[in-house]
Order: sequence, then structure tokens, then C-alpha cells
Amino acid sequence: MYSADIRQPLVTGGKTYSDVTADICRPIENKPTNSWWLGFSIGVVLLLVLAGTLAWTVWEGIGTWNTNKSVMWGWDITNFVFWVGIGHAGTLISAVLLLFRQKWRMSINRSAEAMTIFAVFCAAIFPLFHMGRVWLGFWPLPLPNAFGSLWVNFNSPLLWDVFAISTYLSVSLVFWYLGLIPDIATVRDRATSKARKYWYGFFAMGWNGSAKSWGRYEVVALILAGISTPLVLSVHTIVSMDFATSVIPGWHTTIFPPYFVAGAIFSGFGMVLTLLLIARHVMNYQDYITKEHLEAMTKVILLTGSVVGLAYITEFVIAAYSGYEYEQYAFANRMFGPYAWAYWTMMFCNLMAPQVFWSKWARTTPWFIFVISIVVNIGMWFERFVIIVTSLHRDFLPSSWVMYHATWVEVGIFLGTFGLFFTCFFLFAKFLPVINMAEIKTIIKDKE
Amino acid sequence: MIDKSILLDDKTFTVGIFDDSDKLLNAVGTLKKKGVKIFDCYTPFPVHHLDRALGYERTNISIGAFLCGLLGSLTGFTLAYSMNVVDWPMIIGGKPQDISVFTSFIPVIFELTILFTAFGMVILFFARTRMIHGIKEDLLSRRQTDDHMVLAIDNGEPQDMSASEIQSLLASEGAIDVDASRTSFNTSLTDEDELAKQLMTK
Repeated sequence: MYSADIRQPLVTGGKTYSDVTADICRPIENKPTNSWWLGFSIGVVLLLVLAGTLAWTVWEGIGTWNTNKSVMWGWDITNFVFWVGIGHAGTLISAVLLLFRQKWRMSINRSAEAMTIFAVFCAAIFPLFHMGRVWLGFWPLPLPNAFGSLWVNFNSPLLWDVFAISTYLSVSLVFWYLGLIPDIATVRDRATSKARKYWYGFFAMGWNGSAKSWGRYEVVALILAGISTPLVLSVHTIVSMDFATSVIPGWHTTIFPPYFVAGAIFSGFGMVLTLLLIARHVMNYQDYITKEHLEAMTKVILLTGSVVGLAYITEFVIAAYSGYEYEQYAFANRMFGPYAWAYWTMMFCNLMAPQVFWSKWARTTPWFIFVISIVVNIGMWFERFVIIVTSLHRDFLPSSWVMYHATWVEVGIFLGTFGLFFTCFFLFAKFLPVINMAEIKTIIKDKE
Repeated sequence: MIDKSILLDDKTFTVGIFDDSDKLLNAVGTLKKKGVKIFDCYTPFPVHHLDRALGYERTNISIGAFLCGLLGSLTGFTLAYSMNVVDWPMIIGGKPQDISVFTSFIPVIFELTILFTAFGMVILFFARTRMIHGIKEDLLSRRQTDDHMVLAIDNGEPQDMSASEIQSLLASEGAIDVDASRTSFNTSLTDEDELAKQLMTK
């Protein structure tokens, strides 16, 4: 067994294999706790808000939003990019860290992947409903239409996005489910009630952990990680091209793809930390999600936060240097115009706040990390808001300059997606093992 | 559920139960050296080098995955080219619609390559491992997905050693339990009392 004494153990508390099984199956096999019910109820209430505001949008029309001829993308696309970005940490943790053989990923990858899937659900709502007639949401698919063979436009980044997001969602689901199979089999073999035996048996697909299956399983997982890595990079690259391939000052920038990918990882890790710090506390998983894990994640936050900060400054310098007055105005307007408060919130939250993680105390103090993770989430939402709204609200023609403020419907939909996200997450925490038991069992004796 | 076991059906096994992956790995090495034919091992987590110790060759599922990816690329290209160039060219902003816009087809080709690789490979994996929703699982120990590792030797297979020699060899390698005739059972379809009775008789 590999051991480097300079490192801390990955799982503390001297756990045995059966301890791992018992600890991680406990929430599934017992009645939900009061804190679970509390969180789940809040999620459901917000989910009802989502249902209500979406129903009102469909019933009354897209005019219930304040998006207009100048600011045609407002909160909706801001939220879309925000949620897609959040999803990225899951794939990054499970795929990229698997390729880099980072074993600390093993206690967090399951919940991060779940987060990816739920975040992409939330993201998909926004473009679908922004199309106005959501029942025609299948139109972006390459299907022959009723008027002849007028197809979708393959030169459009918006179409690339349809392919990228749907591939991302389905491949993430497959990756997640494949990782779950051995653990579902563990729950099945411990089950005592008929329903649990049947359903976990159904989804375990007859898994019995034979050495032959494990051999194939590991190769499949490795290849899935290998193809998910370029996939996750491509998804946010394509999302950034929705902006970068236009000619709007503030959007028309070649730095967008790497900048968006770094921002996505940054915001994703922010959300992973927010969720895991809660889960760790509520479910008593301090031995599995140790301070080492938190420290490793805060280092990723520090790195990607700095990359994002560098991108902000680079963008500004390039605009100043371009000699192109519209581009220069777009950036001056961001910093000192009517939305300056949003710009400086973004600068504070994303560039300044994560720098506290240079300190070891900040990296290992859970409550402090929790606060900063919320700050990061807020900052990254404002980043998308700044990019979208400040670039659009004052365009080339001063007569079409407007201000944009969200209506209660737009705010409600955004809050509602948190309801969807948390409802899904709490159901996941109740019915599926939150930590990958099979993988954790391979490292309980390891230090790395 | 499909009530037909297709993996271990109608076989009886000599099993050695281990609680440590290193001991299992050593036992497999020793048994192999002495010429004992091992049927398979069942572990709750992937034990590194176990497949090599058992003499399994690396799966060539990656070739299947590559072919699926190739099919995905071709599908992506065919889709974009036939729709936007052959069938109904859309002239937008006076830009050409011929093979010279190939670069703008690349994102779709790329995504479909990944999609086809992932799904093709996982479907191949399920088919090869005989996994499908609702199939009956074959277990040799109730705890083989929890904390026990099972080394199984098919009693129907002719061995150079006698059965008692194999059993004492398993015990000397650190097996916490050795059973000379065990048949497979499943947990998800069997009633709990009946399962207890079955396990008692075995």
C-alpha cells in the first residue's frame, strides 16, 4: 500500500471497510433527520415558486420579464451561464482529478457530479423559457420542419450550445450512474425492506463485484474521464462563444473561452464547498471530508480566482489599448457607469476575496471557507450580469440606451431554480450514497 | 426482474473469504503458482493488480469506444454537411455555405464524438459484463459488496490438487472462512426469512 508519511491520511478516524459502509449507508437506511426535513421543505417551497413564476411567464408571455430590445438578454442568460458554470466543478473533480490521480477527489466526486447534473437542469430552464414558446423547445434540434427542409444553422454558436449542453448532461449522467452501480449494489445487499431490495436491485443491474467486471469497469471509467475532460472545457468554451462571436463591444473578445472556463471552475468549486460544508456538518462526515479536502479545494479557488482576476484586468488593458472607442467606452461604462456597483461587487468577490486563501488559517477554518464560498457564488453571478447587461444597455446608438431591472417574475424564477437544485440534492442525499464507498475503501489506508 | 441467472448458475464453488485485499492478492498468487484454476474473485472495491494476478488480459473495450467515437464524428459531419451544404444552404451575411465552412461544423462533430463514445462504450460494457436492469445478481457472500472478498474455485473444474489441499491452502493464506460447497444466491428477489434459511443450509 502506498504511503507518504509527510502527508495526512485521506480518511481519518481509523475506519474499517464495514465502518465506511455503515457510515455512508446510514442516511439511506434510517428515517430522515429534522435538518434534512428542514432543508428539503425550503427546497420544495422554492420549487413551487419556480413552478408558479414559470407558469405565469408561459400564461402571460415573455413580457412579464423586463428584457427589451436593447437588453435582450438579462437575468435569464445570466442565470443560465451561472448554473452551467456551477456544474463544471463536478466534472472537473471526477474527470480531471482522476486523470491527475488526485485521490482526495474520492470523497467529494459523487456529490459534485450530482451537483453538475442538477445545475445543468436548472441552466436548461432559462434558454428554453426565453424562447417564449416553450412548447416549441424542440425547434433547435436538427429535425425537418413542416414547411420543407429548412434546417438548423450549423454556423451558429447557439446551436453548438444545444449540442454541447445536451451532450454534457447525458455524458455526466452516464458517468454518475456508472460510478453509483457498485454502491447501489452495496445498499441492495444490506437492504431489509422489500421495496429497497427491489429498487436498489433493479438499478444495481446485477453487479456482484467480480474481478473481471472491475477490470473492465476501471478502463471504462478512465476513458469516460478522458473524454469528459475535453468535453467540460468545450462546454464553457462554446457558452463563451455565444458572446465572443458577436460584434458587441465587451463581448467580442478572444480571451473569453479560457476566461469563462476558469470562471466556471471557480464558481463550481465555490458551490461544491458551500454544499459540502453543509453536508459534512449535517451528516457528520468530518472523517471523510477532512480539512485536507477543504484545503485542496480552497487552493483551486485561489488559483482559478486569480486567473479570472487576471482576465478582468487583461480585458480592461486590451480595451484601453485597442484604440477603438466603443470598446473603450464599454469598459469605462462598466467601471463608472450606472452599473458600477455590480462591477465593483464582482471585482471584490472574485478578485479580492479569494486572496485570503493564501493564509493557512483561512484554508482550514470551515466557517470562514463557507462565508468565502458564498461570496464567490455571488461574485460569479455578478460577473455574468456585468458581462451581459452592461455590454447591452448602452450600444452603438445612444437613442436606444436603456436601463434594465429584473421584475419579480425573473427574480422568482432565479430563486426557484435554487429550489429545484436543493430539492434534487436533498433527495439524492436521502436515497443514494453521498460518498463513493467503493473508491473510499481503496484509500482508507492511504496517505497522499 | 429477470429470474434467470446467467453467470454462476448451477455451479458449486469452493470459496475462501478474506477481509484484507493484500491477503487476497497473495492467496491468488500462491494458488496460481500451485496450478489451481481460480474461477473468479469478488471484491467490494477494485483491488489493484488483482486482474493481472488472475491472469486476465486487459479488456479491449477501448477499441470499441474508439470505433463508436469514429461513428460519432462521421454522424456529426454528415449531419452538418448534408443539412447546411447539400440540402438547404442558408446564406447568412453573404457567407459561403460549402466545405470551406467546415471549421464551424467542428463543435457539433466534437460533441457528437464524445456522446457516441460515452454511450457506445458504456453499452458495450454492460453487454460484455452481462448487466441489465432487473437481472438477478449472483452472490457468493452477503458481504462481498461490503467488506469481504471472495475467492471462488469452481468445483466442477478438474484440479491437480485434492479439494482438501486447496481448502487448507486457502486457510493458510489467511482466509477467515473456507466453504467447500457454496452456490450462488441473490438478495434482491429473495424474501429475508427464506434467504436466512438458504444461507444457513449452505
